[in-house]
Amino acid sequence: MENIKADLISKIKSTFENVTEKDHDGNRLDFYVNKKIIPSILTHFKVNEGFIHLSHISCVDWLEEGEFEIIYILWSPKDKIKVFVRTRVERENPVMPNIDMIWRQANTYEREMREMFGIEFEGLVGEKEFVLEDWEGMPPMRRDFDTEAYADETFWHRPGREDAMDVREAIIERSREEIPDFAKKYSR
Amino acid sequence: MSFFDLKGTLKPLTALKQFGKKPHTISYPKEKTEAAERYRGFHYNDLEECIGCGNCSTICQNKAIDMIKVEGIEGEKGDSGLRPRVDNGRCCWCALCVEVCPTGSLSLTRDYLYVSDDADTFLFVPGVDNPEGKNNLSFITDKEQSLNVFNRVPMPELEGMERVKSFAEVVLGYNEEMAREEASRCISCGLCTEVCPDHMHIPEYINAIATGNDEDAVRIIYDNNPLPEMCGKVCTRRCEDVCAIAVRGEPVAIRWLKRYATETAKTADITMEIVNPEIKEPNGYKVSIVGAGPSGLTAAYYLALRGYDVTIYEANAKAGGMTMYGIPKYRFPIDSLDKQIEYIEKIGVKIKYNTKVGKDISFEKLYKESDAVFIGVGFPQPWTLGIEGEDAKGSMQAVNFLHMVNSGEKVDIGKKVAVIGGGNVAIDAARVSARLGAEVTILYRRRVQDMPADWEEIEGAEEEGIKIVPQAIPVKIHEENGKVKAIEYQLAEMVPDEKGGRPRPVAIEGSNTIMEVDSVMGAIGQQGDYSFLEGEFAEKIQVERGRFKVNENQQTTDPKVYAGGDAVNRTADAISAIADGFRACKAIDAALAGKK
Repeated sequence: MENIKADLISKIKSTFENVTEKDHDGNRLDFYVNKKIIPSILTHFKVNEGFIHLSHISCVDWLEEGEFEIIYILWSPKDKIKVFVRTRVERENPVMPNIDMIWRQANTYEREMREMFGIEFEGLVGEKEFVLEDWEGMPPMRRDFDTEAYADETFWHRPGREDAMDVREAIIERSREEIPDFAKKYSR
Repeated sequence: MSFFDLKGTLKPLTALKQFGKKPHTISYPKEKTEAAERYRGFHYNDLEECIGCGNCSTICQNKAIDMIKVEGIEGEKGDSGLRPRVDNGRCCWCALCVEVCPTGSLSLTRDYLYVSDDADTFLFVPGVDNPEGKNNLSFITDKEQSLNVFNRVPMPELEGMERVKSFAEVVLGYNEEMAREEASRCISCGLCTEVCPDHMHIPEYINAIATGNDEDAVRIIYDNNPLPEMCGKVCTRRCEDVCAIAVRGEPVAIRWLKRYATETAKTADITMEIVNPEIKEPNGYKVSIVGAGPSGLTAAYYLALRGYDVTIYEANAKAGGMTMYGIPKYRFPIDSLDKQIEYIEKIGVKIKYNTKVGKDISFEKLYKESDAVFIGVGFPQPWTLGIEGEDAKGSMQAVNFLHMVNSGEKVDIGKKVAVIGGGNVAIDAARVSARLGAEVTILYRRRVQDMPADWEEIEGAEEEGIKIVPQAIPVKIHEENGKVKAIEYQLAEMVPDEKGGRPRPVAIEGSNTIMEVDSVMGAIGQQGDYSFLEGEFAEKIQVERGRFKVNENQQTTDPKVYAGGDAVNRTADAISAIADGFRACKAIDAALAGKK
């Protein structure tokens, strides 16, 4: 396994520029690449290295860093090894190259990411709506989307829940704590 | 394709290899299938384990969880008395509520079938409405998977044997990164505020630290505690005992976080700038305070802010009371205390040092000149051991010893010291003696686990090479030429108390041991000294079982006189004294403002 990994790393690094790798325990190997080479590196993996299967495409919202991370998980049935190809795209107007000509099923993942994170894929063909209906506004899987406020507005509140109490207030009342107004913004 | 396609004819027969195997299709008659191992069905809550912190209700993105009063569950210290109720019409079974539950009482079960045409019955109080759920748990939280962080950010400290070389502060304090990380462990439930005698606004200031607003944290802390840096170093921190995280992990380091916040204000001037307190116009009332300990300083600070003319009379050369003269400097350095006193003086509190009420100025004069008097005199007088040889040179009281060391006097304790007692004073005296180069043994009449001292202090003493002899009752101090030569003690066995109290030590006859020592220090408790109340005041201001008799506003039996601190409460710690002082300030303000 270690030999296969080392071999793969040297082959990939000699073929592509600016690639870094991270080895994980077991049969997993991660590559960090620029988004521009995504179509070519994925084609290379599929055609030349035996990674004929696309297992998954995943997306992480790095809100604080202003970027999305897209992760392509590939599987080689021959070498029994999985490769994570990871790339970053800016959060403002994110545009990624489309890869559904390499693996047809990528089309579904890309439509989902377009709807849930608002990432555009160049030349992607497919219905704009994926699972959400008539969705306007911020894509809901973005971390700055306020799920609680959305649920509060959208879903009707059942009567009969007015007896709910606030834990902090219940304790304040019991212990007769006097909390100044300027401190209240830090209460839960 | 030929007419006789042999391959096409035989191929379907390969299905025969499945003959006799268990089919993948649903069998008939239908078998009942079990839900998946980590299935997320209806909630179950262990009502005994639950402490009503409300973290489940806060995390719920669907606003499906309410905290409500449940019949038969009363709130107590460390339990809000509230329990979660789930609106299953809103729940999406994401199970975040389970993953953030600090106690692990909340789980999801394998039950998922419920049919009713009355939508209101979909409101469940887990544990109350489905007690049988206990036997059907599936999605539970354990410490490894929980989203709570159960381990405290370790506090950097000096090495054990490095400490005894000097009086340098042992605890080094969190840096900014550590403080933010530790503060983010807090779930802001506020259960801690109830057990704090002073009801400090703990979740608020911790949240301010977590979000990087140290100045706001300092302002929140100073709202009802004018000596927070002292509390940040030496508080008895009962808050940490009831921390929700402590049920399964280490409590949030509330004390160290307070210390971190107050230490960001390095001088009294910076403190003044940050807190920027509103000082009211002088209202013409005069308040006199006896004793500049924590209770007196607190009453003085908040009265001065409210526009009162406040003077404190302090018998010693420095303010702080027991926190100045009782607590060793490696726990509470003198410049930290000075900074806080300087700040209190800056806002207009006058302190008359070296002025003992009853000697340098009479109580009657104070009483007549002031509109109200606050007494915070503490417990200055140590109990004596009451054994033979106690008058010998080298036999002393630990409190007096600490007082002398803290005022910078040289005390000759020799090479070997025995300290009698198991409280914080005993440990302090032992650790100070070790720093003066002595070999120290602590004799305590009960077991180590019965010691009233903080466990951290006991551990600290052991790390510094101090020997603890538990179940040892001193019987005699042997002397030679009027000097202490040895201490004789008997070993004791613990006898269960018939009335259900804690076990009593009973001396074993003939187990006498003689240990050679140069000094013996008694640390078995202190009492009040109320001799400054002369004449009519001794009668008017009543003392009951060694403490002033006060009402819930700290008012004594003389309506103009208030009291607080060790001479009033039984908890005998600084934070209770601060709470007394703050309460008295509010009562004095209410009484005098009402006169106008």
